[in-house]
Parts: sequence; structure tokens; C-alpha cells
Amino acid sequence: MSEEYVIQMNGITKVYPNGVVANQDVEFNVRKGEIHALMGENGAGKSTLMKMLFGLEQPTSGEIKVNGEVVNLSSPTVAISKGIGMVHQHFMLVPSLTVAENMVLGMVPTTSGFLIDGKKAVEITEEYSKKFNLPVDANARVADIPVGMKQKVEILKALVRGAKILILDEPTAVLTTQETTELFHELKNLKNQGYTLIFISHKLNEIMEITDRMTILRGGRSMGVYNTSEVDEEKISRLMVGRDVVLTVEKEKAAPSDTVLKVRDLEYVNEWGKKMLNKVSFNVRKGEILGIAGVEGNGQKELVDMLFGFNTPNAGTIEVNGEQTLGMNQHQLRERHVSLVPEDRMLYGIAADGSIEENILSDRCADPRFNKGILFDMNAIHEESDRLIKDYTVLCKSRDQKVGMLSGGNIQKVVVAREFSNSPQLIIADQPTRGIDVGATEFIRKKLVELSRSGIAVLLVSADLNEVMELSDSLIIMCGGEISAYFEDTSELSDEMMGRYMLGIAHQTPEEIRRVCHE
Amino acid sequence: MVTIFTTDFFFSIFRIATPILFATLAAVIGEKGGVSNIGLEGIMMISALFGSLTAYWTQSWFIGLLIALIVGCGVALLMGFFAFNLKTDIILTGTAVNMIGSGGTLFLVKVITQATEGKSLASTTSLITKSLQIPSWNIPLISSIPVLGKVISGHSILTYLAFLLVWLTWVLLYRTPLGLNIRSVGENPNAASSVGVSVLKIRYITIAITGVLAGFGGAYMSMYYAMGWSLDMVAGRGFIALAAQAMGAGEPLGSMFAALIFGFAQALGIKISAMGVDSNLVAPIPYIVTIISLVIFAVVQRNNEKKRHSAEALQK
Amino acid sequence: MNKKNSLKFTLIRGAAALGIALLVAFLLIIVSAQGNTFGAKMSNSFAALREMLISPMFRKNGSFSLKNFCDVLAGMIPILFTGLATCVMFSANQFNLGAEGGIMLGAFVTSLVAIYVKIPGPLLPIVAIAIGALSVGVMMLIPSVLKAKLGVSEMVNSLMLNYVVMYFINYLMNSYLADTSKGITQTYPYQSNALLPQMIDNGSRLSWGWAVGIVCVILVWLFMYRTRWGYSIRMAGINADFTKYSGMNTFLIIVLSQVIGGILAGMGGGIETLGRYTEYNWSSLPGYGWTGITVAILAGNNPAFVPLAAFFMSYLTKGCTLMATNAGVPAQLISIIQAVIFIFFAAKQFLSGYRQKLVVQSAQEEIAAAKAAEGGSN
Repeated sequence: MSEEYVIQMNGITKVYPNGVVANQDVEFNVRKGEIHALMGENGAGKSTLMKMLFGLEQPTSGEIKVNGEVVNLSSPTVAISKGIGMVHQHFMLVPSLTVAENMVLGMVPTTSGFLIDGKKAVEITEEYSKKFNLPVDANARVADIPVGMKQKVEILKALVRGAKILILDEPTAVLTTQETTELFHELKNLKNQGYTLIFISHKLNEIMEITDRMTILRGGRSMGVYNTSEVDEEKISRLMVGRDVVLTVEKEKAAPSDTVLKVRDLEYVNEWGKKMLNKVSFNVRKGEILGIAGVEGNGQKELVDMLFGFNTPNAGTIEVNGEQTLGMNQHQLRERHVSLVPEDRMLYGIAADGSIEENILSDRCADPRFNKGILFDMNAIHEESDRLIKDYTVLCKSRDQKVGMLSGGNIQKVVVAREFSNSPQLIIADQPTRGIDVGATEFIRKKLVELSRSGIAVLLVSADLNEVMELSDSLIIMCGGEISAYFEDTSELSDEMMGRYMLGIAHQTPEEIRRVCHE
Repeated sequence: MVTIFTTDFFFSIFRIATPILFATLAAVIGEKGGVSNIGLEGIMMISALFGSLTAYWTQSWFIGLLIALIVGCGVALLMGFFAFNLKTDIILTGTAVNMIGSGGTLFLVKVITQATEGKSLASTTSLITKSLQIPSWNIPLISSIPVLGKVISGHSILTYLAFLLVWLTWVLLYRTPLGLNIRSVGENPNAASSVGVSVLKIRYITIAITGVLAGFGGAYMSMYYAMGWSLDMVAGRGFIALAAQAMGAGEPLGSMFAALIFGFAQALGIKISAMGVDSNLVAPIPYIVTIISLVIFAVVQRNNEKKRHSAEALQK
Repeated sequence: MNKKNSLKFTLIRGAAALGIALLVAFLLIIVSAQGNTFGAKMSNSFAALREMLISPMFRKNGSFSLKNFCDVLAGMIPILFTGLATCVMFSANQFNLGAEGGIMLGAFVTSLVAIYVKIPGPLLPIVAIAIGALSVGVMMLIPSVLKAKLGVSEMVNSLMLNYVVMYFINYLMNSYLADTSKGITQTYPYQSNALLPQMIDNGSRLSWGWAVGIVCVILVWLFMYRTRWGYSIRMAGINADFTKYSGMNTFLIIVLSQVIGGILAGMGGGIETLGRYTEYNWSSLPGYGWTGITVAILAGNNPAFVPLAAFFMSYLTKGCTLMATNAGVPAQLISIIQAVIFIFFAAKQFLSGYRQKLVVQSAQEEIAAAKAAEGGSN
């Protein structure tokens, strides 16, 4: 029986140097020529398992067989030589090199064995591009090409190295719906040509559409293997999260009052001359959650950077409680009770090597409440951190534990505990629940609603449709750096409608959009 | 002023810039490959010592030079072992090498030459004679051109090599597979390793190249620029090279011009001090020039960035 | 990893680093030891090693040598200060290597005040050292402000400043300040009330500056762990983006950490010169800045461990000096030992295999404990 499997991972356990047990006795078998889904929540151990299959990590114990033969995948080179290729979630491309150079990196064709044969590199790229029907611009610098093309380059890179088994790590996370459709078409194409595909995702509909079988991981353990045609979404979600996913958050109707944040005609041209924000205007009022939906990369990141003083727009104004805040730094903004749950919590939200307490203290270290003269009032600080750890149910050994040792969900709870607790008047929540477990997600969402109902203005930026639709009282959609639609009431909205505005198929009139300014 | 800018003066710019240029090219390749080697200073000291000693023992400048390169490469590889395998901060690794380059070389020279404590400061100055010096080259034809010939002919062969290496460094970085790998590893090591480029191997090659280049610089110092090794003779050239690299925006040609600016500053200093000004007032000129040029470079960059944020950018 | 294993690992790792350094030292001693036969060479080597490791504290007959021990304590003074200075700067992730020039400038400026400014009684050394320290603080404004405003590498700039300071001082000495009646370049003597009183007057030059150093250790620890500024400095060292996002003043952090580093280094220079010498005569960089970096690395950038690390380095330095005088092995061996210890201490992956074993062991223990708890509840 075992011959039909191209990949067999038996009894795989992985303990990381920091003590995290990422995989525990996992079984993972893939048949030749199938599209096999690897599913699980963030932190379930999918990435670790695949890193081991691609030679980026080595299992602490267990064995890996490729085509029935036991292999020691000590590096990606070995994995590649066994016919395994990987398309990473964060593209493994060198931005300053051309597409062709990226394609041949590590196997560069040369003239007279010494100098790079640029022409040959382009030829190879174009040959493969044609063969697999994955159009790319061989001579363009990777820094200049769109995301969808970058992904094609990634797939071609694996194919040109002779990969017969392709691992795709959340390939649709960065794609628009159209690009996803296109990708699925290409993947099916590859399957028909005899390639084996391992598809990592946590989007149920995609899994149902494209895969043959699936392995589900939860908490580092395998929850079994299933034929896609024999399970339904309900069952998968139960296996993945251990209970039915709670998607709705109870909330009363908002009663918005005074305007807290007033943004007018924001424009921004990025360093490559691309217009990232175009005449963006909106208001956020006390007691309401204004959602910003949109496919990532349509100006949301730039907008948040402007609002929190990390960048300056080329034109436009930003006011908080009637005061011009453009050009203010983060300190001044925080003094004006603006809080930010940052998109990248590891980069901005925390100091990973600092303790939980030190991470909670960061925005209030100069507060008289926590200082006695020039020295810290350690008792007050301990009290504050213990209180917040308890209130936000941060799972930890003590307040002295390093934040970097916590799970993603608990790290995010530390971040929101800080951002929600220093009497904010405006909370900007940028992807507040990305990549964290269901429990923490639910907690943070409920907290956001609770805070807004207590009279705080909340601006919620999220690529998670479910999240923006459930939490927002009213909603704007961004597309191509512009607001393409404004909905005063989210309850009447359908996914389809939103999709049309998000992808730029539909666009409201300026008058309709202008309503968000409440003038 | 006329008395300062003589052909001699311009000749000395090249002479002075040579060791800085070697170290600068090392810094350029290192930075491209993501290896900030601040130990160039120490490597130059160690190479200078072993080069001059070997030249004396074997009575051959060539073998001396060869050993200087091998030692430079060896020290760099050892740095690599600590930085890449044992994950020591590369700056601290460099600092350790600089410690050895300073006190450690003095220890070695005392042990090797059996000069013990209490005697006058040990050095190999008396060991290198004219015949052991790295030869210089009077370029036929060019040497007979008036003025220009006097400036560019008659330098050490290493000076010509250094300028040739500027071009070779460019070819290496932009026209060879190895250069492509070095740049990839420096820019996105994950990308490089995902296609089977051994990041570790490329980093070792990168740091080894920096070691060899610094070895050239060290050999030049003790076997041409001065007649032998003495304590702290490299005097910050390894650090100045880091500044030259930054000023040259990390590109070989630009960094070469930066190295020449330092050569100019130092040549000017020597000239002024020959006119009777206290050498202590002149000696710090290259260091001050370094600081000032780093500032100018940063200000220019900043202004370029600001332009992008102005309202004019909208009109494009 | 649990606390017990964590401590065990730290200790074993430290001991291994020291062991390797001593092994390297011993090999170099064998190479450099005199003796015609192998036996003679070995016995000389052991004699040298004994000088290095034991003589700083004990006499030949095994009795405690107060004099040598005081020498070791006195030797701690400058590196205690440069070590503290480096701790503060490195904690903020500012690789400022200017403690070397800083201690020289501090000593020089303090000396000028101690020679030329007429201030009565014990006020003079206090004012002199304060001015010396402040002058270095001002010097550190150059690399720190340039870093904070323009992003220019503080490392390169501080290194350059070391040389500038050295030549500047030498220029002033040669041109204006030297006591021309003396054979070497040195200043006129300090006013007698400028000299720091000695703690034990046995020629070790162990001044009360040592006690000031220990007080500074406590103050710097308090500053780093019990004030908002020290806290900000430490957080910036872990994640500078985080401090900016949190609304801390990143400009201030970068400048403050380096200025305080400068003040500490300058203080060390002033205390060292008024505690040990009667006139100023340094004409080259003293090397204390580099030893200070080693001290900071050994102490893991925590001020509380600086005295221990400084004692250790001073002990080794004294050992190497004794070895040079009594066994003919050049004292610069210390540079090599220092570099070896330094590099192994800073090596994150050193003994990582062993560490991983302990981690796995801890994780398994935790899993077992969890299982036992589950079993108990069922």
C-alpha cells in the first residue's frame, strides 16, 4: 500500500529551542497526484510540519519517507533534490534582482563557466512560463511586479528545479478573488500534469473547492485524514477548533455622538511613485465602530501609518477631537488618548524579550500613577500588570514571563490589555485578531464592542470579512487607495456586494461616499 | 597653495588611499553579503605582522604577501565560525578580533622575536629592508608623460591591483553567479536558502573575501607603506573603510572615490605638517573628515527622501 | 526551560567559556615559555600559569597577599566605570565604542581643573571629576545626536572620535600644557587637595574612588531598572520600533544612553587619574574602554554584575602583569584571553546542543506533569 504515497511523515515530533512543542506524534501521508489540504488554525503546527518537509527544520523525532524511501531532509537543497518544492507565504524572492535572476538563483547558467548568462536565464524563464501557462515578465525587477505575478514566479521557481511535489503555504492569503480563481485554475492544471500539491489554508471554501483529501492539525497533533467529498464545512471546523466556530458577537445598536476622528482628503504617493491614498475622507464618532474593509494592499496600511504618525501624507488633514494631529508623533497622539493595536504585533506591539509587565508599562511609564519622584512605584506597577493579566485572561506563569514565550493569542491579549486600558478615546484596531486562536479572537472582539458602547470611537481595519461585518456599525470599503463604498448599516450587506466594491467592480457615487463625513 | 598641490602630493594620495581602498572593497563586499565586518582593522594588523615576519624569514616579499593573505583569510573564517555558527553578534566578533589585532599582535611579536617585557617596544621595523619591500612599478610609456606620469607611475604593484580590484569587485558582484548569490544572501537569506543556495557557505565565502582583501591592506602597510610592523600601525584605516563604504552607498566605484577622499585628506595633513604644523593637529584630519562626510551623506539621503513626501510628488 | 535548568545552563556555559580561554592561554604560555628541554618548558609554563591565576591573591608560600589583592581592587576602578558606561549604551542597542576616548578625555579635563582651578579643600576633586565627566557627556552628544537625527552609525563615529580626542589632547599637551622641566610629556602636578584619599595606603593606589564606583553601580542599576528613563533605554534595546510606537521619546533614549555612558566613562577617567597619579601623562588611548566592553558582555549588560566582571578582568590583568615580570611571558597575553572569553560569552549558540537538551527535558517534564495532573483529576 505504501507505494502509492509520495510523502509519508510518521510520528513526527518537533520541540523548538524555546521549548514550544509545535508537533506531537503527527502522521501525514500524501498520495501521488492529489491536492492534499493541510488544515488547522494558526499555531496548529502546519508551518512547522511543512518546514520539516522542506528541510528548513529537522524533526526532534520521527521519520520522513519520500517515494517510500527514508530520507534525511537536512536542508532545502536535499528536499529540492527529492523533488519537493515550496511556495512560501512570504515570498522567497530577492527584490532587487530581476524575475529571471530570481528564477535561476542557485542554478545560474553561465557563459564560459564564469559569467552569468543573462540571455539564457530569460530563455529558461520564458520557456517554463509558457509550458505551465504562468505568465511573468522575465526582465522586470521583482520589486516592481504585482503580488500575483510574484506568486507565479515562486511556483515557476519550484518547477524549474524539478519539483514534482509542491507545498503551497496559504497561497491565497495575499490574492484578490480573481487572482485566486486564476491560481486555482493553474493548480488544477498542474495536478492534471501529474504534480502532487500540498495546500495549506484555513479558508474552508477554498479547501472544499480544490482539494481531494485533507489532514487536519490541532494543537500540534493530527486530527485525522479525510476525503474532501465526504466531510462538510461544519465537521472540518469542529475538528479544527474543537467546537463550532462562534462567529457572531452580540451587540446593541450604536448611538454615536460627537466626532472624534476627522480625516479629510488624505493623499499619499509612496516611494516608488505609486498613489496609495486618494482623497480619503471619513469621520469616526464616539460610541461607534467604523470598519474599513478591503483586500490588503489597497491603502489600509498607509492610512493607519498616517493616523498614528508613522508617515506623513502629501496632502489632507487629520483631526482628533477637533485638534489638528497631522505631524504629531506617537507620544503626542497617545497624550490625546489615541490607541493603536498594530497590524504587526511582533514588530511594533511588543518587546519580545521584555516581561509581560514591561510590555504593559510601555505607554504609561511616565504616568505619575506609576512613579514616586524619579523612581518607579513598583507596587503600583505590579498591581496594574496583575490586574490587566487577570482582566484580559492572559495565560502565563507570572508577570515576569517573557512576552515572546507566550502564544500568539496571549501576546495579542497583552497588546490589547495595554491599548484598551489607558483611557483611550479613539482606538485604531488594525487586524486585531489576525492569526490568533478562536478564544482570544472572541475575547478581543467582545472587548472592542464593549469599549465602543462605553463611548469610545473605534476604527477597525480588517481583511477578515467576517470580522468587519460582524463588528462594524458602519463600514467603508477601500479599493485602490480610495473609498469605494460606505454603508451606514452593515446588517443589510451581503458578501457578494462587498466583494464587488472590494475588487473595484462597483463604485458608489462621491455623494454616497461623502455621507461618512456626517456633514 | 601651489607648494601643496605638487605632483608628489597627488602621488601620495594614491599611496595613502591604497590600504584604505583594499579595506573599503572588503567592506563593500561584506555589506552586500550582509556581513558587517568591523574586524577589518584587527585583520589588517595581524596580516601586517605575519606578512612582514614571513618576508623576513623566507627573504621573499612574495611569500610574505601570500602568508598575509592566508592569515587574513584564516582570521576572517574564524570570525565567521563565531558569528555564523555560534551566533556571536558580528560587531562583537569584530571587536574581539580588533582586541587581538592590538594587544595580541604585540604579544605575538614579543614571543616570536623573544623580546621580553621591559625592553623597548617590540616591532619588526628593522626586519623589513628595501629588498623585502613589495616592489613598485614604473609603467613604461606612461611614466614618461610629464606630470601625469609622476602621479600614476611608480606605485606599489598593490596600488594598481587595488584599483583593478574595484572593477573586479563590480564584475564579481554583478556579473558572476557567486556575486548573485552574495547579493541574494545579503538581501534576503531566506530566499537564497529556499532555492538551495547555502547561506552559510556564501557567508563564509563573503567573509573570507573580506579577510583576503584586508590581508592585502595589512601587507601593504607593513611591507610597503612602512618598513615593518609596529603597534597600532593600521591606526583606524579598517574603521575608515567602513565609513568609505557607507559614503559610496555600498557600490564599488562610489566607495573608491570615498577612499580617495580620505587619501586626499591624509595627504593634505602630511603636507601641512611638513610645513611645520604640529602633527597632532594634522593626524586627526582623516577621522574628522570621516565624521563630516558621513553626516553630509546622511543629509543628502534625507533630503532625497523628503522630496518624495512633498506635494510636488502628487503632480507626477 | 525551567528556572533550575536555566541557571544550570548559564553557569556551565560561563565556566566552559572561561575554561576554553584558560586553555588557550596555557597553550600560548607553553609556546612562549623559556626552557631548553620539554620538562623545563613545562615547569616554566606551570610556574607562569601559577603567577597568572594565583599570585594576584596569594604569596609564594600560600599566604594571602593584601598588597596584590589591593592592586586587583584598584585595577577595577577604571573598568568598573567603562563597564557601566558600556552597559548603559549597549542596553539601548547603541554600539558606541567611545568609552575608550571618553575615559582619556575625562582624565584629561579633570586634570586641567585639578591643576589650574583654585578651589578649596575636598570640593576640588569633586568639581574636577564632575567637569571631566560632563565634558565626556558633551562629547557623546556628537555620535548620539548624529545617530538620532540622521541615522549615522554611532559605532563608526565614536571610533573616529577616540582618535580625534587622543590627538587633540596630545596637541594641547605638546603645545601648551607640558611641564617642560620633565623628561616625558606630562602636566604640572595636581594641587595637593585634588588627590583622592586612599582607602588602604599600601602603595596599591586603592583610592576611595573604588567605593564611589560601587555606589555608581547601585545608582546605575536603580536608573536602569527602577526609573522610566532606564526602562525606556532597555526597551529600546529590545525593540526600538516598539518604544517609538509606545510613545517614548526615541531621540531622547538614543542621546541619553550615550551621554550617560559618556559621563560614566569620564567619571572613571577623573577618578582614576586623581586616585592613582599626581599629574597627567597619558599620551595614547589606555585600553580601558575595550576592557569595559568585555566587562559589560561578561555582566550581560546588567549593572549588578559589573563589579564581579570588573574584578575578574582586573584579576586576570594583574595575573598577566605578574606573569610578565616573574615568568617572562608578555603581559599582552591578556588581550588574547580577553578576546577569547569575550567571544564565547557573546556566542548565543555556544553549547546550544546542550541547551536544547535541557529545553527538551524541561518540556517533557512539563508534559509529564500535565499528564499526571490530568490522570489525577479523572
